[in-house]
Amino acid sequence: MLILGIETATDQVGCAIGGHEGVLASAHSVRGRQHAETLAPQIDFVRRQARIDLSEISVVAVDLGPGLYTGLRVGVATAISMAYALGVPMIGVSSLDLVAFPVRFSPRLIIATLDARRGEVFYAFYRQVPAGVQRVSEPKVGTPQQAASEIQAEGGECLLVGDGALRYRDHFERDHKVEIVEQGLSHPSAGSLVQLAHARALREEFVNPWELRPLYLRKPDAEINWKTRESQ
Amino acid sequence: MTFRTLGIETSCDETAAAVLVDGNTILSSVVSSQVDLHARFGGVVPEIASRAHVELIVPVVADALVEAGVEGKDIDLVAATSGPGLIGALLVGLSAAKALSLVWDVPFIGVNHLEAHLYASFLEEPDLELPLVVLLVSGGHTMLILMEDHGQYRVLGRTLDDAAGEAFDKVARFLGLGYPGGPAIDLLAMEGDPAAVDFPRAMRRDGLDFSFSGLKTAVVNHVRANPESDPADIAASFQEAVVDVLLTKAQRAIEQEDARGLCLAGGVAANSSLRERALDLSMAGGHQAFLPSRSMCTDNAAMVAAAGWRRFQASGPSPLDLGTDPSLSIFGL
Ligand SMILES: [Zn+2]
Repeated sequence: MLILGIETATDQVGCAIGGHEGVLASAHSVRGRQHAETLAPQIDFVRRQARIDLSEISVVAVDLGPGLYTGLRVGVATAISMAYALGVPMIGVSSLDLVAFPVRFSPRLIIATLDARRGEVFYAFYRQVPAGVQRVSEPKVGTPQQAASEIQAEGGECLLVGDGALRYRDHFERDHKVEIVEQGLSHPSAGSLVQLAHARALREEFVNPWELRPLYLRKPDAEINWKTRESQ
Repeated sequence: MTFRTLGIETSCDETAAAVLVDGNTILSSVVSSQVDLHARFGGVVPEIASRAHVELIVPVVADALVEAGVEGKDIDLVAATSGPGLIGALLVGLSAAKALSLVWDVPFIGVNHLEAHLYASFLEEPDLELPLVVLLVSGGHTMLILMEDHGQYRVLGRTLDDAAGEAFDKVARFLGLGYPGGPAIDLLAMEGDPAAVDFPRAMRRDGLDFSFSGLKTAVVNHVRANPESDPADIAASFQEAVVDVLLTKAQRAIEQEDARGLCLAGGVAANSSLRERALDLSMAGGHQAFLPSRSMCTDNAAMVAAAGWRRFQASGPSPLDLGTDPSLSIFGL
């Protein structure tokens, strides 16, 4: 079973191919927000590095977000189109799950955070379990202050990971029980995506390309404005 | 040897895919309109459009292949609109097209949406004589383009403010006719008197540029001053003013450039009065007039496939790192 993983929920564009032997090839690049320009050539590059033909792919995995809308759209549109054309099923994984996964060896409460722009962060809480991490709260979008007070309410030792924690570290570091994971693990990785998707593919937790939906966590502005107008 | 092009269009609020043989025979053309999603906002909301494209793109492409009776392996070229348009919307179609071209191992080409509108006419009438004046009128564009040859264009005039379609939407909204405004006004105007109110024709006498923002204000002012006036008369008189300006300028462009004919393109080209008057004008002026069918005027992917095929023949595929260009001009070709 070969899995193609596509990851574009942040500034980073990532792609990996792997299976039960682990990740065969991967690439990540951060060059502004030009996801549409970068992704297709990167997929072509990674599959050449892995020395496979795209027709050998049996599952397409994609980062569902939450994240930057522009990136998400490029990644999800690319992934669903590839899965459809290949005639293979898909697995969607949350960006926050991907950020938490590399720090799964920590016994502390893990908080995955991603920069949501507009002065907000996406975040969710995780606990270590035998196979990795398990999410123990719904993914949310909120101000760093809101996230920080929820973290403080938990009381115990915490590990913060992701570019949201790095950007707003001043809000989080006031609490001495909090440690922030430095650069290097701050973006979701396509390698983690392939690893997590592999475990779920063994359990056949598939979704069809036409059913897959990104996780936006915010309504379009127009709908928010509309509701405000209606209620006035 | 048949050459099959899959076209994809997602520049605004229609998700569309089509399969074309040799740039002229349409095997399928599927258009999924999001009009209902945007109606309550009175116009296209970019974020809502982008999200809907993500949900619709695979089903629409799949429909186009099934209707054409072909499979992925039968496609020789994938063409998608790369601009102009709404960036989030464009990204979906462009990304999908590149993904399909990677899997099917066939070339990909980015298409200029404006050029695609011009090619809607060639799909239905391959022998149109050049040079041709194209009146491209839609919710996003109002321009007079001289098509000197395939791939050779000159913009003769454009709107300085609102697009003609935008004026229709705004006036329809003011009259409480809902969205989209074009078809609603067209229908209501049939019961009204186009000579009831003499609305201003901005810049009618000079040049080839347009201006429609003053007209909308004139309609609003007139209705406020005459609250008892018949909405059908208002709709008919407003439409008459728009059509009058559009065709006066088109006629001037044909004479100035000594063109062989006039061709309509874009969503507003589906307007009954504009079509009727364009035909009258060609009879009187002795030039050809070509009116694409209504479904070919509004956004569709067959025109994208046609323009993509033509450009691929002329200059080969686009690189896989092509990006979207929301403000791509017809000069950028
Ligand atoms: Zn258009």
